[in-house]
Amino acid sequence: MSWFTFPVDNLLCRCLSISITCLQYWLTLLFVFIIVPTVLGVSFGVCGLYMRTLLKIFEWATSRIEKEAKEKNQQLYKPYSNGIIAKAQPSSLQQELLEVRGSAGGLPSEPEFEMVDIFFFCRRGVESILDDEVTKRFSAQELETWNLLTRSNYNFHHFSMRLTVLWGLGILIRYGVLLPVRVTLAATGISLLLVFTALVGLLPNKKLRFYLCEKVHLMCYRICVRALTAIITYHNRENKPKTGGICVSNHTTPIDVIILANDGRYSMVGQVHGGLMGMIQQAMTKSSPHIWFERSEVKDRHLVAKRLSDHVADKTKQPILIFPEGTCINNTSVMMFKKGIFEIACTVYPVAIKYDPRFGDAFWNSSKFGLVCYLLRMMSSWAIVCSVWYLPPMNREEGEDAVQFANRVKAAIAAQGGLVDLIWDGGLKRAKVKDAFKEEQQKLYSKVLVGEQEVGDERDNTHSEDTNQEEDERIQLPQMDNEDTVNV
Amino acid sequence: MGALQSVPGHPEYVDLAEKTGFSFEQIGILHKRFKQLSHNEDTLLREHFSKIPNLECNPIRSQIIGAFFDRRNFRQDGEGTVEEIGFEEFLVIMSHFRPPTLHMTEEQRESVRRDKLRFLFNMHDTDNDGTITLEEYRHVVEELLSLSEAMEKDTAKSIADAAMLEVASISMGHMEPDEFYEGITFEHFLKLLNGFEIESRMNVRFLNMDTTTLCK
Repeated sequence: MSWFTFPVDNLLCRCLSISITCLQYWLTLLFVFIIVPTVLGVSFGVCGLYMRTLLKIFEWATSRIEKEAKEKNQQLYKPYSNGIIAKAQPSSLQQELLEVRGSAGGLPSEPEFEMVDIFFFCRRGVESILDDEVTKRFSAQELETWNLLTRSNYNFHHFSMRLTVLWGLGILIRYGVLLPVRVTLAATGISLLLVFTALVGLLPNKKLRFYLCEKVHLMCYRICVRALTAIITYHNRENKPKTGGICVSNHTTPIDVIILANDGRYSMVGQVHGGLMGMIQQAMTKSSPHIWFERSEVKDRHLVAKRLSDHVADKTKQPILIFPEGTCINNTSVMMFKKGIFEIACTVYPVAIKYDPRFGDAFWNSSKFGLVCYLLRMMSSWAIVCSVWYLPPMNREEGEDAVQFANRVKAAIAAQGGLVDLIWDGGLKRAKVKDAFKEEQQKLYSKVLVGEQEVGDERDNTHSEDTNQEEDERIQLPQMDNEDTVNV
Repeated sequence: MGALQSVPGHPEYVDLAEKTGFSFEQIGILHKRFKQLSHNEDTLLREHFSKIPNLECNPIRSQIIGAFFDRRNFRQDGEGTVEEIGFEEFLVIMSHFRPPTLHMTEEQRESVRRDKLRFLFNMHDTDNDGTITLEEYRHVVEELLSLSEAMEKDTAKSIADAAMLEVASISMGHMEPDEFYEGITFEHFLKLLNGFEIESRMNVRFLNMDTTTLCK
């Protein structure tokens, strides 16, 4: 049997040695051209060129789709110009009810009055089923142009041969070239972090330890940023968060942390995890004080608040990084900020992060994908392009409570990032709306019926006075006749 | 390839377009919305509706949601309720809110009117006995009003009673003291709302209604 196995063995050995050599060459290339410059902070200016080339290709692809669609005489689906319903001018409940009732004409009787109002609420209900401000924030944003990722466009049945070829090429490049490189980089970055922090931890001198740890962290973040091909533009760096403050930002993805930490040192806040995350957390704590909570402590709001305040009170410690929305939103809007963090008395440094969705959608839809799946999708997109704006620091003013302060900060972030400012809670992704909101609407409506004065319009006031009078008369009448005519 | 060319890859839309009168484009957009609400599943459940904050604020939300699961609204002469609906039923319910088109005859407008009024009638008539009794009517009025200090419990009751009284006097004329008014039947309902142009009031302003994509 040996004569048979010998050539097979030989072949196997050859294959193995060839693949090892390839791997060696590849790793060396990677090391020389990517890792070393990254660590040293040197850039070859390749990113700008890459972006511009990609944009040109996307524009060409989109115009081809439009041309094809025109030839076939079909309609294209455009998410922004194809709304579902025409939005009405916002007006008060009273005005809208009057408008609806008005068409009942000269009939003064109550059945019209009640039933007409039901039409109004019914219509409003259906309108909100068709199009509301909140549910659309929890799924990825749709694009007008096509970026060669089928995930992001719905017109792909309009493809011609040329476009399909281009798309196929795109897939080859993304999955065959970009993805392996990025995964290698990410793995390298994380292992370097763990190894070096362990080594540095052995040093006796505390100061030296801290200094080296910082450098190691910076290197690791830079490699991770390259691993995602994140092209970040930082604006207004003079407003960067300083020690003894809190940095708040809008939240789109867990990558936000890497993007911000790439440009500054922050103390993270979070729960203690096990496994790889746990090891990374421990490694991070070796160089700077992060705030990790045990699972049981997370529920204890006082404990959390105390630890955060203690950290902030120490002026030598780095600023805390926090995402007050509490969950990932799809980067078209900013949702309600939880007031807890704004109750702590210190300076708040707002930061706005806006991702450019043309190169890859960074939003993490946690109900659709797990974390690993999400990271793989990120690494197989073209790039992650984003802008970070550091806003001037804000402090709570006299007479302002935590909620108002939170809303002020939120408005500033929304304005800078070009996002829609919503009052709704991001927690609505998973939870239901409280009954209190329904009661508010009911109260408003009953006020209209009973005829309470609304501030402002003279005409409205006189009308509601009339309604009040009629109302009283009507209420008294049935009480007299009730027992006689309407038998229940 | 004639007629199929204008169908954007979904042949089942032709059927739905004929049934409901929506354009293909509109059906496509509504399908996306359906998928968004149902989290990419094929059927919608009641709890999917409760995820919409604006709807939760609406005082008569349970009636509105109930209407979606009411088989009387599916235009198939069914009765009773279902627990989940597919896209076709969703579309049929939405079609109750379409405005009448410009080139409708008087007869067609009348039928659109009856359709919408039937929808509203079903919303009130929860036990499907063909009449809206005082209890049912009072229930709806109470949902609209709040049990706060601004309005006492009795006031809501009396508004409902007053309304029923008016209805009775309009539809029955003079009643004997011991005559029992059972409730508003559908014919009474129609008569009551005779002057009210429901076909232009109870509709949602859908966009993209004018594209004629059917090449026949």
